[in-house]
Amino acid sequence: MNKILLIIKREYLTRVRKKTFIISTILFPLLYLALIFGMGYLGEKGKSRLRVAIIDSSGYFDKGKIERENLKDSSSILRLVTDNPDSLKKNFTDQGYDGFIIIPQHASWEQGINEPLQTSRTLGIGSAAQVEKKLNSIWDEIKNEKLGIDENKKMILNSSRVNIIPKNIKDETADSGVASTIGYVAGFLIYLILLIYGSQVMMGVMEEKTNRIAEVIVSSVKPFQLMLGKILGIGLVALTQFLLWIAFIFIIYNITKAGGSGMMSGVVGQVQKVFAGINIPLILFCFGFYFLGGFFFYSSLYAAIGSAVNEDMREAQSLSFPVTMLVIFSIAIMTVTISEPTGKLAVWASIIPFSSPIVMMARIPFGVPGTVPWWQLGLSMGLLIAGFIFTVWLSGKIYRTGILMYGKKPSWKEMLKWAFRKN
Amino acid sequence: MPILELHHLRKYFATQKAVDDISLTIEKGQIFGLLGPNGAGKTTLIRMITGIFYPDEGDIFFDGKKFDPINDISKIGYMPEERGLYKKMKIGEQTEYLAQLKGLKRSEANRKIKEWFIKFDMHTWWNKKVEDLSKGMSQKLQFVTTVLHEPKLIILDEPFSGLDPVNTNLIKDEIYNLAQKGATIIFSTHRMEQVEEICDHIALVNKGQKILDGTVKQVKQDFKEHLFKVSFADHVTPEHLAIHLFEVKKKDDNEVVIKVDPGYSNNDVLQYFINKGLRIESFNEILPSLNDIFIRLVGNTPTARQFQEVTA
Repeated sequence: MNKILLIIKREYLTRVRKKTFIISTILFPLLYLALIFGMGYLGEKGKSRLRVAIIDSSGYFDKGKIERENLKDSSSILRLVTDNPDSLKKNFTDQGYDGFIIIPQHASWEQGINEPLQTSRTLGIGSAAQVEKKLNSIWDEIKNEKLGIDENKKMILNSSRVNIIPKNIKDETADSGVASTIGYVAGFLIYLILLIYGSQVMMGVMEEKTNRIAEVIVSSVKPFQLMLGKILGIGLVALTQFLLWIAFIFIIYNITKAGGSGMMSGVVGQVQKVFAGINIPLILFCFGFYFLGGFFFYSSLYAAIGSAVNEDMREAQSLSFPVTMLVIFSIAIMTVTISEPTGKLAVWASIIPFSSPIVMMARIPFGVPGTVPWWQLGLSMGLLIAGFIFTVWLSGKIYRTGILMYGKKPSWKEMLKWAFRKN
Repeated sequence: MPILELHHLRKYFATQKAVDDISLTIEKGQIFGLLGPNGAGKTTLIRMITGIFYPDEGDIFFDGKKFDPINDISKIGYMPEERGLYKKMKIGEQTEYLAQLKGLKRSEANRKIKEWFIKFDMHTWWNKKVEDLSKGMSQKLQFVTTVLHEPKLIILDEPFSGLDPVNTNLIKDEIYNLAQKGATIIFSTHRMEQVEEICDHIALVNKGQKILDGTVKQVKQDFKEHLFKVSFADHVTPEHLAIHLFEVKKKDDNEVVIKVDPGYSNNDVLQYFINKGLRIESFNEILPSLNDIFIRLVGNTPTARQFQEVTA
């Protein structure tokens, strides 16, 4: 036992002390935030404000309506012009317009208008939609006038609607919008951990094998201890990274809450309101459980693969492909699960060990026991424990033979033969 | 009292009888040479002794008791032929780690490492990484990590490969030193001249079986061919060399190598030369070198042994 602790300590310290660990711990959340905000910012910035000239031969549009709409919605600028269509076609760019629309004389308020926005360059659908939306809002006004609909009636038309929100009567607090966000984030994080830290385990084992230190170490400790020590050590590294991130979030949350003014406190208030309906301790507990369970399940398989191959990365990739596919397959099931958390696929995939870490984590935020009955959660956890005990045992057997075996890359079949051999 | 006794050890792999019924006894304080061509089963045998493999059959007794890998491996130091260290780890830390895995306390490990590092002139290396070391330097480091925990049994597989003569001597002296202090050393190699120089006892393994076992002196006696080198002060002519007493293997002007026929003693031969009136300057027996014995015994082993079918 003492030796496993030594191995865990070495695996943990050599990784945590590395610059790459510190940098990735700090940079990952920053990059993630930058990505989210950056995309929003660039999306806004990317849309240019189109200046569009409108030649109206129908007489429906007047300057007052258009200017009023320009004040309400500044995503594009509309101008009513009285030029001749042909001359405008020639010099609209010189006059500072990006494009123009000709409303024909025969246009009818009952049938609508179907005319092109003519430009000298190709526009994205998004920019044309902005103009369309503005024109429609003016067009609504025109129709209302024709139909004799006053402000009162207009309000009735706009606001009197049928609204349906999904509500689970077994679980009053469930909120599917928040649940699917949390489920998605949790499932995705576990997916990332399994892939990133799973391959770290594989690389670590390969390093020991190609450095030929494996034989030195296994003359001091059992191969199984070496493998388990490595898996636990790297698991702790992943856990450390997580706790640091959670601590970051907690600190930032508290700073903004303490800052307490204006928009930020509004955001904090909303966050509090959203989380009020969610069983956070249960989700955190389950996250920890599925994170560790899934990590043991997959990283031991990755360790077995690392022990079987030589220094060639391509060998490792081809042999680990089936395992990686299982993880990717799970995330594919997860996206289905989020839109239908009680479907047959979701239920079974969240119980079977290989996919349960990701899929069950996506279901839990929808509510326990409302969406996920206790028996399903219990069965899933029990099977995951049994599953990782099995893969750790199996991998231990493969590892013991593989770590001292050099030469040709074994096939999965040969590896299984190692696993079930006596001694 | 023997430190290690092997009784009828067997280890078969799918394609090979790696070790096929080997028994050996190694006494305390011996420097024991374990010899054999490539693929003879030496590494498998050593891996069973170091607890890495379990034998299919047979028993190992370590220090008078049945070998218990979990407790006994801390009393063994093993330097495999394919050796390695963590490249990115600092040397001091790494040596400490390996010593702790052998059961040493950290402070104790630290003290011993410093002693050894000073002895090997390595004390300035503490914070260097292994990847910065030359091959010879890391070989020395590997030796230190093997013997640091003062094992009762030290197993060295080709310990001098890649070392220059100066460092070879340094390690050789340490091997003698450790043997003097009571450690037993198993020295696995196919470099015969080193074995002749260092070992007092050898065993030769081939095709998974032990084909020879004894002291270096005894083995040489067993394989001697009654060859003698006689040198004279006079010129030797063919008339001087009779047929019935010996066979001439080689002849120079003043020197002959002869093989004495069975039934005659050395004195008969000397008497003969004296009677011929030749002045003898020296008379020496030529003992075979271990290299000759090795080649004679395993020379015609097919190299394809690795792929033989196991029928047992």
